[in-house]
Amino acid sequence: MTAFRQAGLILLVAVGLAGVTAAVHPKRPPFLAPPRDPNEVTLAQTKPWAGNILWVDARSESEFTTEHIPDAVCLNFENWNDQFPKFLDRYNPSQRVVVYCSATSCQLSREIAAKLKGSGVDEAYFLEGGWEAWKQQNHP
Amino acid sequence: MRLSLLLSLFLAVPAFAQLKWDTMEQSLKSKPGDREVVATYRFTNTGTTPITIDNVHTSCGCTTAALTKNEYAPGESGQIVARMDIGSRTGHQEKSILVTTKQNPKTPTILRLIADIPEPLVMKPTFVMWGVGESPKPKTIYIKVTDGFPIKLLKVDSDNPDIKVDVSEVHPGVELEVHVTPKDTSRPEMATLLIRTDYPSDNPQTYYAYAKVK
Repeated sequence: MTAFRQAGLILLVAVGLAGVTAAVHPKRPPFLAPPRDPNEVTLAQTKPWAGNILWVDARSESEFTTEHIPDAVCLNFENWNDQFPKFLDRYNPSQRVVVYCSATSCQLSREIAAKLKGSGVDEAYFLEGGWEAWKQQNHP
Repeated sequence: MRLSLLLSLFLAVPAFAQLKWDTMEQSLKSKPGDREVVATYRFTNTGTTPITIDNVHTSCGCTTAALTKNEYAPGESGQIVARMDIGSRTGHQEKSILVTTKQNPKTPTILRLIADIPEPLVMKPTFVMWGVGESPKPKTIYIKVTDGFPIKLLKVDSDNPDIKVDVSEVHPGVELEVHVTPKDTSRPEMATLLIRTDYPSDNPQTYYAYAKVK
C-alpha cells in the first residue's frame, strides 16, 4: 500500500511539473496547433503550377541580390512604391503569385501576400518554410 | 528516501525560469498619424545568479529593440523597448525579437510584436490591366478614405496622356470612383495614377495606382 501511495505521489508531482513546463516553457510543443492559413502553400503544392508561377521575394534587396529563386521579383514594404510597378511588369493575371521570405524569423511573406490580395492579385499565396525550404529542395 | 526523491524532482526544473517576462507578446493597434508602433517588454531576473543579455535581434530591418544595459542581478528588473517603423506597412504585421542570454545562448527567448495598422485609403484594386488587343473599355478603381483619417482626396491624375482618368465623386473628398480608359490597346502602355491628398498638412501625401496594357 505504501508503494502505491509513493507511486501515486511521484506521478502527481511529475504531472504537476510537466503541466507547468507545458504552460511556460518557451519551446513547448504546439499541442494545439493554430489552424493553417488557407493562403499558405507547400513546395509540393506549387509543383503543378510550374511554368505559371510568379515568385515574389519579400526579403531585403541585398538578400535578393545575393541569391533568389530564378525569375523571382523583389517586393517588400521598404520599397513598395518603386518595386510594385516592376512587379506589374512581370505579373500576368493568369499566374499564381507565391511569396517567400526567410523562414527562420519572418512573417513578411504572409503580410506581402495579404497586401497583394488587397491590391487585386486574387491568386496570391505564401510559401511554407520560405527561402530555406526552396533552397534545401533545390540545392541541398 | 521519499523526501530526496521529491527534492530531485523539484531540482529538475530547467534553468529558463531565470528570466521572467511580464508578457512575451504584445498586440497593438496604430492610430492615424502614427509613424511607429512601440512595445515594451518587462522582465525580472528571478534566478539566484546574475544574468547577461548578450544579444537582442529583430526579424525585420523595420524594427529596432533597445536595452538599457546588459547585466541584471538576481531580483533586478529591466525592459526591452521595440519600435516598428510603419512606413508603407498596413494591415496585420507580426515581428519577432530574439533575446539571447550568455547563460543560455542556444535557446533565445522569442518576443512577439503584433501590430494592426489601418490603411489610410482603401483602393480596390490598386491596378487595372488590359491585354494587348483587348477592347479598351473603362475599368474602375474605387477609393475611400478610412474612417478616422483626416484625409481629403484632392484630385487624380494620369502621367500618361494615352490612358485617361475620369473621376466621379461618391462622397466629395472621401470616396471616389476613378474610371480608367486607354486610348487604344494595340500596343503596351503604362500609366501611374497619382492620387493627391491634403494629408498630412506639412507634407501632403500622394498615393499611387497603376494602369497597364500588356
